[in-house]
Amino acid sequence: MPVVELAGVTKAYEAKIAVRDLSLTIESGQMFGLLGPNGAGKTSSIRMMMGITLPDSGTVRLFDKPFERRSLERVGYLPEERGLYKKMKVGEQLIFFGELHGLSAHDARQRAAQWTRRLEIDDVLEKKTEELSKGMQQKIQFIGSLLHDPGLIVMDEPFSGLDPVNAQLLEKTLLDLKDEGRAIVFSTHRMDQVEKLCDSICLINQGEAVLSGRVREIKSHYERNHIQVEFEGSSAFLESPEIEEARNFSGHAEIKLKPHGNAQKLLAEAAAHATIYRFELMEPSLEEIFIRTVGGKVDA
Amino acid sequence: MRNMLLVAKREYLEQVRGRAFRLTTIGVPLLFAALLGVGYLSSLGLGKHRHLAVAAADPALAAQIRARLVGDKEAKTRVDVVAPAQAADRATLAQKVAAGQLDGFLWVESKPGQMPSATYSSPSAGDFITSSRIRSALTHATIDLHLTSGGMTQKDADTLVDGVPVKTFQVKKDGREVKSNAEASFWKGYVMAILLSMTTMIYGMNVARSIIQEKTSRIFEVMLAIARPSDLLAGKLIGVGAVGLTQIAIWLVAASALLASPLAGAMMTGDFTIQVSWTETVLFPVYFVLGYLLYSALFAGLAATCETEQELQMYTPLAAVPVWLSFALIALIMNDSNSFWSVAASLFPPTAPIIMFLRMAAEMPPMWQFAASIGLLMASIWGVLWISTRLYRVGILMYGKRATLPELLRWLKYS
Repeated sequence: MPVVELAGVTKAYEAKIAVRDLSLTIESGQMFGLLGPNGAGKTSSIRMMMGITLPDSGTVRLFDKPFERRSLERVGYLPEERGLYKKMKVGEQLIFFGELHGLSAHDARQRAAQWTRRLEIDDVLEKKTEELSKGMQQKIQFIGSLLHDPGLIVMDEPFSGLDPVNAQLLEKTLLDLKDEGRAIVFSTHRMDQVEKLCDSICLINQGEAVLSGRVREIKSHYERNHIQVEFEGSSAFLESPEIEEARNFSGHAEIKLKPHGNAQKLLAEAAAHATIYRFELMEPSLEEIFIRTVGGKVDA
Repeated sequence: MRNMLLVAKREYLEQVRGRAFRLTTIGVPLLFAALLGVGYLSSLGLGKHRHLAVAAADPALAAQIRARLVGDKEAKTRVDVVAPAQAADRATLAQKVAAGQLDGFLWVESKPGQMPSATYSSPSAGDFITSSRIRSALTHATIDLHLTSGGMTQKDADTLVDGVPVKTFQVKKDGREVKSNAEASFWKGYVMAILLSMTTMIYGMNVARSIIQEKTSRIFEVMLAIARPSDLLAGKLIGVGAVGLTQIAIWLVAASALLASPLAGAMMTGDFTIQVSWTETVLFPVYFVLGYLLYSALFAGLAATCETEQELQMYTPLAAVPVWLSFALIALIMNDSNSFWSVAASLFPPTAPIIMFLRMAAEMPPMWQFAASIGLLMASIWGVLWISTRLYRVGILMYGKRATLPELLRWLKYS
C-alpha cells in the first residue's frame, strides 16, 4: 500500500520556487532517502507531506487517502528545526507528546519507559530537559516522534549532531522499525547512510526531482567503471591510457576507468607488472552519482 | 479540542510551577502587608517626637498656635511658648536648637491691624512636613483670632477654620438617596482598574514571552505536526489566562484576609470603608478575561513576528497606549461619568475594561452599555485573533530575519 504519494506538487515562496512538480511514492516497509544539496527543497517537500504548509498545486496523499489532519496521528515526525520544552522533565514531556498523539497518559508513560530502555537512557525520565546533552536531547526527540507507534516515520536530517555510536544506534533502530513494516522517509547529506539504509531515493536539486527510484536500479544504470586492486610489485600499470584517475595506497589502488575504458586490457597490463591478489570491477558509489548528477548545478 | 486543552494544561502547569509565579503570588501580598504594617507603625508615632518653641509678641496668638500644633495627634509635638517674646529671646532659642534641646522654633512678629510675619528655624533644611504643619497652625490660629475678636464663638470659629463637613449621598435610579463616600468610591475604581490593567498587561506579555521562548527553542515544528496552529494559540491563551485568574484569586483571598485583620482595622478609620457590589464581583472576571484575550491575542501576533524578547519590547509601549489613555481619562470620568467621551471610552474595546470600572465607581452605567462594551470587545477579540492566528502560523516557522511590513501583510493572505 502506498503510504505517501506526492503527485505534481509545487510550492513557491514569493519569487522563489521551493519545489516544482515533484512526484514520489513511498510504500510501507520501505526506507526512503530524500537527498539534495542545501536549499534543494527537501524540507519544503517534507513540510508539505506533514501538512505544515500546503502545496500551491499538486496533491498529497497519506495512507492511500487525500491528506487530512487525522492521518497525522499515524505519522512520527522529527523536523530539522527540532526542540524540546527546556524546563519540563523528560518523562512529562514524552507523556505530553504521547497524549497529543492520542495516547492515554498511562500508555504514554509505559511506552516512554520502554523506549528510553531501548535507547539506553532510562535514567533520564526524571531529569529536566535542559540538564541533558545535545545528543541525549536528540534521542528524546526521536522517542517523542515514535511513542504513538506510527505507520509512517518522517525525519529531516535525523543523523545531524549525533556521535558515531548514537548514529549507529539510530540506524539500527530505524532498520528494526522498517523490518516491522513501517515506511520511513528521511533526508540527509550522508551518502554512506543512504547507501547502507535506503531501498529507494529521490534526489532533488533546485526544487526538482533529478533522480529517483530504487537504489539498486539507479546504480545499475551507471557503468561499472571503478576498480579496486590489491597487488605486489611495480605500480607502473597505473599509468595505463585506460585510466582516468587512480589513487595508490602502497599495495592497494582505487582506479576510475575512462569512459568505455577496457578493464580486461588493464588487468593484463597489471598482471605483467605485478602479482595481483584482487582485481574487482565496481559500480559507482551513490556519492559519486550524486556529484555527477548535481555537480555544477548547485545553488550557492 | 483535546489538543487545545492539553496545550493549555501544559502551559498552566509550567507557569504555576515556575519560580516567577511563586515569587509574584506570594511576594505581592507580602509587599502590601508590609506597606500596611509600615503605615500602621508610623501612625503609632514611631518617628521622633518634635520639641518646638513658639515665640510671639502676642501671647494669645502664641497660645492659639500651640493649641493647633498640640491638637494635631499625628504630629505628637511638644510645644513651649515664649510670649511676649523679646528680641534677646531669639538668640537663646537658637542656642537651644544648636544644643539639641529644641528641634526648632517659630518666631512670630505681629503688629496690631496687620497680618503677622513669621520665621521657622531648625537644624534640618529639608523637614518640609514640620514646616508645613507650622504654616497651617499659624494660618488657622490667625484666622481663629480674627474671627473671635469679631465676636464669633471659639467653637464656630474652629468649625469655619476646619471646614464645614459635607456628607455625600448617591441618588439611585428609584430616587432613593444612599449614603456614599466619593473618595472611597474613587479609590475602589482606581484600584480595580489598576489591578485589571496590570494583570492583563502582565499576562499578555507572558503569552508573548512564551511564544518567543518556543520559537527560540525550535519546538514549534514538532508541535505543528501534532496540533493545529489555532489549537496551539488557543491553548496557550487559555493556559496563561487561567494562571492569571489563579493569581488574582489568590491575591483577592489574601487581600480579604488582610483587610479583615486587626492591623487593617486599626488603619481604616472613619468613613473609609470599601464595599464591592455583586455587579462588580461578576464583571471583574468578565472584563479581565475579555481584556486579557484582546491584549494577549495582540501580543501573540506581535511575538510571532519577532525573533527575540528585546525585539518584542520595542512594540510594548505601542500596545500599552490604550492603558495609558485610560488612566489619562480618569479626571474626565470622575467629573462626569456619563459624558459623551466617558461613554465612548467605555465602549471603545482597548479602553473598555479599565474605563468601565472607573465609571462603575462613580455611577453604575445602564445595562445596555455593559452589553454593548462586552459585545464590541468580543468582536474585536475575534478580529485580532483572526489576524494574530495568521501571523502566528507563518511567523513561528520564520527564523533568522525580522519580517517587514509588506511581508506581514502577505502572511495574512497565506492559507
